[in-house]
Amino acid sequence: MKAGVQDRILAMFSWGCALVLVSGLAAVLGFLLVRGAPALSRELIFGSVAPLDALLLKRQVFYGIFPAVAGTVCLVVFSIGTALPVGLCAGIWLAEYAPRLLKQIFSLVVDILAGIPSIVVGLFGFSITIFLHHFLNNRVFPCLLISALALAFLVLPYIIKTTQTAMDSLPLALRLTAPSLGASRLENIVHVLVPAALPDLASGVILAIGRCAEDTAVIMLTGVVATAGIPKSIFSSYEALPFYIYYTASEYADASELVKAYGAALVLLLICAGLFGLAHLARVWVAHRARVRT
Amino acid sequence: MSKMKDKVKVKVRQVAFHYGGHQVLKGVNTDIFAHCITSISGPSGQGKSSFLTVLNRLWESMDGARASGQVTIDFGQGFEDIYDRKMSLPWLRQQVGTVFQVPNPLPMGIFKNICFPLKLAGEKNKDHMRCQVEQALKDAFLWDEVKDRLQKDARLLSGGQQQRLCIARALVLNPQILLLDEPTSSLDETSVAVIEDLLLSLKRQCTIIMVTHYADQVRRIADHRFVLSKMQLKQVGDE
Repeated sequence: MKAGVQDRILAMFSWGCALVLVSGLAAVLGFLLVRGAPALSRELIFGSVAPLDALLLKRQVFYGIFPAVAGTVCLVVFSIGTALPVGLCAGIWLAEYAPRLLKQIFSLVVDILAGIPSIVVGLFGFSITIFLHHFLNNRVFPCLLISALALAFLVLPYIIKTTQTAMDSLPLALRLTAPSLGASRLENIVHVLVPAALPDLASGVILAIGRCAEDTAVIMLTGVVATAGIPKSIFSSYEALPFYIYYTASEYADASELVKAYGAALVLLLICAGLFGLAHLARVWVAHRARVRT
Repeated sequence: MSKMKDKVKVKVRQVAFHYGGHQVLKGVNTDIFAHCITSISGPSGQGKSSFLTVLNRLWESMDGARASGQVTIDFGQGFEDIYDRKMSLPWLRQQVGTVFQVPNPLPMGIFKNICFPLKLAGEKNKDHMRCQVEQALKDAFLWDEVKDRLQKDARLLSGGQQQRLCIARALVLNPQILLLDEPTSSLDETSVAVIEDLLLSLKRQCTIIMVTHYADQVRRIADHRFVLSKMQLKQVGDE
């Protein structure tokens, strides 16, 4: 077969693969929009409560998804807030400080960790809760904190791996620039390597945010309930959108309830998009600050 | 000036260098003279860049690199062993600056790029920093081209401008020795001419050791010429 024909076949195959991907995404989004858009209303989120009263926590929302939205946002913030510093530091350590053998061992451990099913992580979190309940304090129950820590554990490998890969892929010339000017290893990491790797680091964070927001298996075993209202503290039970969607879709009594589940799915998607946008803005702001601030 | 040119600045004795288990330099001995341009040429992969890293211990920041032997430099108070434990590594690298083959501006603005080594050296006076940045950019023939956009990302400059920025960044600390690793290999003829003029003007203030592949360039600007081949550095004749 001639090289030109092979090129054309490869190009068509590549276009086909890209088209399948984009079509799949468009189909999912379209399906969700068609089914969920009619349900999108103030009532879906706040029920019969005035939005301002709900937002100011003056009145409880019983027939809307506002508590689930608040629970999901809290969950994502606490999980990412825990996993991000640990994951970044671990990734930087693996890329910059770890001796070769330790690096290989830890990289393998992180890969295995990434492959653990979320239900197993949920079970682990549940077991830890029972252990703490029996041996530390009998007031320890599944709660927002346990869920957030379990989710942080789940997304930690993504953050570690993307950080390590981003740091490892920086060119040697850039790595040597700051040391050649008299910078210590730490100064090189803080002032040069991390800012240079920032776009790739952000993709790891975005991936982790998405995973935290959508995971159901972990939270089912560690604290989420169908009705709890706005979480009162990190030690209380809470509601979350993925669980609300799962619960409503599997237990719905009539078609209008199912439509509410589609609406909630659309809201979850919008929250994820909002969080991705925030992560992107934070990246742009940090990169801009690093470039121009003197 | 002629007396200064006869003064030895760097003594290299029995230097060996290994990279990734492979020996690159073996028993290298040489003297490098002050306020001269010393060129090092030779086939690719013979260890020219590695030799430069031995002169400011930059190889210590490279995985899999190992060097032995003695390098002494006269920083003004007699010859000092740069591998002595008492030698401060940041100070050494501020005295022996490096410009790499590929221009590598840091991911920050033009002004901040030049300020960076000053901050590392502990400079805090912003007015003083501004003056030093301006002087370094003028020394590198870059001030007129960037004075109106000092806050812009340095990576947006052209290749030749980026390389002059890197030279300015190395010059801002007034190094006694400037190591250049094929500084013109990725540049067009005009930029090469500008950088050669710049190097000729710089040898008044520092000693320049330059790796280059271009025989014409060696003839044009080098005072002392070396060829690195078969793990050895050999002098080939002076201008």
